[in-house]
Amino acid sequence: MPGTIEQGRAGFAQALAAEWTKLRTVRSAVWTLAAMAASVLGIAVFVGATRSLQPDDTILGGSLTGATFGLLVGASFGVLVISTEYAAGTIGATLMACPRRGVVLAAKATVTAAVLFGVALAACFLAYQVGSVTLPDDYAQGVPMPALLGVAALFSVTGVLGLAVGTVLRHPAGAITTMVAILLLPSMVGPLLGGWERWVAGASPVAASQKLAQSSDAVPDAVGSLGGWPSLWLVCGYGLVALVGAAVVFQRRDA
Amino acid sequence: MIEASGLTKRYGATLAVDGLSFQVRPGRVTGFLGPNGAGKSTTMRLILGLDAPTGGRVTVNGRSYRELPAPLWEVGALLDARAAHGGRTAHDHLLWLSRSNRIPRRRVGEVLELVGLASVAGRRIRGFSLGMAQRLGIAAALLGDPGVLIFDEPVNGLDTEGIRWIRELMRRLAAEGRTVLVSSHLMSEMELTADHLIVIGQGRLLADTAMQDLIERNSQAVTLVRSPDWGRLRELLEARGAQVQPDRQGRWRVLGPDTAAVGELAAKHRIALTELTPRRSSLEEVYVQMTDPRVEYRAQRPASDQPLATTSNLGG
Repeated sequence: MPGTIEQGRAGFAQALAAEWTKLRTVRSAVWTLAAMAASVLGIAVFVGATRSLQPDDTILGGSLTGATFGLLVGASFGVLVISTEYAAGTIGATLMACPRRGVVLAAKATVTAAVLFGVALAACFLAYQVGSVTLPDDYAQGVPMPALLGVAALFSVTGVLGLAVGTVLRHPAGAITTMVAILLLPSMVGPLLGGWERWVAGASPVAASQKLAQSSDAVPDAVGSLGGWPSLWLVCGYGLVALVGAAVVFQRRDA
Repeated sequence: MIEASGLTKRYGATLAVDGLSFQVRPGRVTGFLGPNGAGKSTTMRLILGLDAPTGGRVTVNGRSYRELPAPLWEVGALLDARAAHGGRTAHDHLLWLSRSNRIPRRRVGEVLELVGLASVAGRRIRGFSLGMAQRLGIAAALLGDPGVLIFDEPVNGLDTEGIRWIRELMRRLAAEGRTVLVSSHLMSEMELTADHLIVIGQGRLLADTAMQDLIERNSQAVTLVRSPDWGRLRELLEARGAQVQPDRQGRWRVLGPDTAAVGELAAKHRIALTELTPRRSSLEEVYVQMTDPRVEYRAQRPASDQPLATTSNLGG
């Protein structure tokens, strides 16, 4: 006997520990995070080496050019946190271990957000260092703090958005495609929408990260005049709505 | 203890489980039988809170599964042996499960040892044979040392030695006072393992009874007879309405009168017998007869305290 039943618990702390253990014991999760960091850093090295920067851009903005691609990988990471459970069939084991589904989803969201925040912050900080060293001083520097924290937080929220979409759609391919569309379509279809462009393109996580990074890509005509931080709060807002919506679907649906 | 009352599950137009009521008691192995599509797996998913019932209720130790504070300490289940992430090692699969319910870490090593997977604990599950995956699934079910165990087709993919091991494990778990519910389509295996049977067909309860009772009540009286003077005995038997058929070993199967009546008839007419063997139906024969959709099965009202639960018409 392992002990008495009173010692057992399957609450949020245990769900969190289980989700963290799942994450660190699968190579694909580690590789996805590595790919995310590598894309942010690699593009910073490329921008620095080729000096492919608009004259009005900042060193911070230029260094974080790779954040857009990094956000795509971060979103995919969020999708995979839940959709691999459906693909491998472990969702049954997960829900047998913790039948309170809201707790399971909250634990997954917490682990996703925390891991993405940490990895993105490190990657973005290093990317900025690379940019500072490699880009000439005639560019404006940009203000890195607290902007880098905001960009890292965007990775977290985008990952949670991916988790929400993955929870509803279950299939990894469909959910990742949806996330790519959510992240990239606004800036692509934006110009077709006339006066609505600034709202549609401006509300995307990509626009928020460009604003926070003080990039010259974030021109008010395209992404609106809402500042970097309010844009982050906006993304947090609909990310949370998506997560609550996913929790409702998750609760009601048969596993 | 598992208790279902009026348990019903509808998927669209299909009624997968139709008003099932039963109890699975501790201290014995309860076999869960039914043809494919009868609703066995659905019932197990309802017990485990994976699917929500359309009607009725099922509880484990008096609570619905979703209300159990630390479910793995009370219930262990093996539904699908292949439901583990192939990229994880056996040890890590059990590790995250143990974390999820605050089960001491040493249990991981203990259950791996128990199912004979200790030597492959560090190997990725992707490379496991079905038999090894089945053992890992059983290890996961035993992780929290639960009092209630649910196994869906646990002997699938196991070799003779593995099947024997599972059978002994189930019997031991039941002997320790645990509640053991096991489904299988292998009747001969079930006959050896289970003490009690719950039989369902088309989502409805066909029988909830002790194994012995089920077989005895549903057996046809068959007596195997060998006699040097068979021709005369046959005439006498047929005159009394018995049916006779030769079997492959050169004996005659006598259907109708019971063994004692056959023996007395032979004695009365001074006919020598070289063999007179009462033959009980096997579980498989009883089961086929019960679940044959062409046969309208009516469970007899039993005199004993082990009631055959319901009467039901499979054709309807």
